[in-house]
Amino acid sequence: MAAPDLPERGVGIGWRPEIAGFVAALPGLRFAEVIAESVHPARPAPELAELRDRGAAVVPHGVKLSLGGAEPVAAERVAHLAACAEALRAPLVSEHVAFVRAGGIEAGHLLPVPRTRAALDALTANIRRTQAELPVPLAVEPIASLFDWPDAEYAEADFLTELLDRTGALLLLDVANVYANARNRGEDPLGLLDRLPLDRVAYCHVAGGTEQGGRYHDTHAAAVPAEVLDLVAELCARRRPPALLLERDGRYPPAAELRAELDALAAASGFPAVT
Amino acid sequence: MSGPFAPGSDPGFDPGFDPGLAAAQEALVRAMTAGGPLPDGFDAGAVGAAAHGILLKRAGEVARAWPALAASYGTSWRAAFTGWAARRPTRGSFRDGWDFARAHRADLGRDAARELALAEVRWSYDGVSPPRPRRFAVRRAPGGVAVRVRGYIRVFGRSAST
Repeated sequence: MAAPDLPERGVGIGWRPEIAGFVAALPGLRFAEVIAESVHPARPAPELAELRDRGAAVVPHGVKLSLGGAEPVAAERVAHLAACAEALRAPLVSEHVAFVRAGGIEAGHLLPVPRTRAALDALTANIRRTQAELPVPLAVEPIASLFDWPDAEYAEADFLTELLDRTGALLLLDVANVYANARNRGEDPLGLLDRLPLDRVAYCHVAGGTEQGGRYHDTHAAAVPAEVLDLVAELCARRRPPALLLERDGRYPPAAELRAELDALAAASGFPAVT
Repeated sequence: MSGPFAPGSDPGFDPGFDPGLAAAQEALVRAMTAGGPLPDGFDAGAVGAAAHGILLKRAGEVARAWPALAASYGTSWRAAFTGWAARRPTRGSFRDGWDFARAHRADLGRDAARELALAEVRWSYDGVSPPRPRRFAVRRAPGGVAVRVRGYIRVFGRSAST
């Protein structure tokens, strides 16, 4: 099942309040993403509404739905995601292949699911529950994780492909996560890229990270490393995604540096510069 | 779903609640956030690094919600917060900061104490249930008292001679 012909949106950036002025001033921007839990659907931030009204696609990106949790997704969280999509007139919404709470305890971050039949069943059920309430398609993003569960029953590509086949969900492929996981596992990132259904990619994330104690942490608080830009070029040589989005979540650099990051992403993908 | 895709091969598929998966996920979360034992088969070093990464992220989020509190610890903020929070799962950055501030009330500097006093006149918080907005409250604050009356907050200082 191939993805629909999503319109090409080119290079985008994750909208955050700290860089709202920078984002608003990008002349060629046609694509942005906002953390869904930070949006008030009845009164979205004026800068977000302005982006929407000038025709940019603004995609709500959920981080607390816990699609991979054994518990059913909370109806009010799904309703919020749907309300965000309506308010921003978003062409799609996205969430993660992850769980964030269990037994009433918040993990504080996205945690990996075991690559087992049981986890696949729980994810499938939660994604379908979510899709049933959404006015637009859902894309799901495999996460970066420093560790894996023991006793995996599936290779990562097989697990994701089966999940997408079962649910009809689109893939939000985070190129930096592919890089981080491969590096921390001592694997070749191209090995995963070559086995994923790239025709189902709705858009891609790209971000920077830092190495600490021999592990690469996907912090979104540093410049995108050259290796990740190389992987973007490799991906685009295979099948260019409709859009590529830069994520930055802290230690915001001066505008000139952020512009250079966006330009490097455009250069690596062949999309026009948005700066 | 109203998107352009057919659902999967079995749209009525519902595997039901899986208690084994739920228990395994809870055990991992407890190990990472609440001092629980690490379940068998995990790489302790890798899980520990991930848990520490989450604590650092929480420290940054609390610093944004409680800037004076974090600033009062200067460069030792991350170490102070992560040490305190290592066995306390997050209840959101607002409550995490509040709980931390209350646990360290005696050590708070002037600005951090004022930040806490302003929160305490604005919200009613028993440390267990989520904070609720107050209608009226008076709290000691550095240099005077903070008063909340029907949505307005004022800090009244002592006279200049004191």
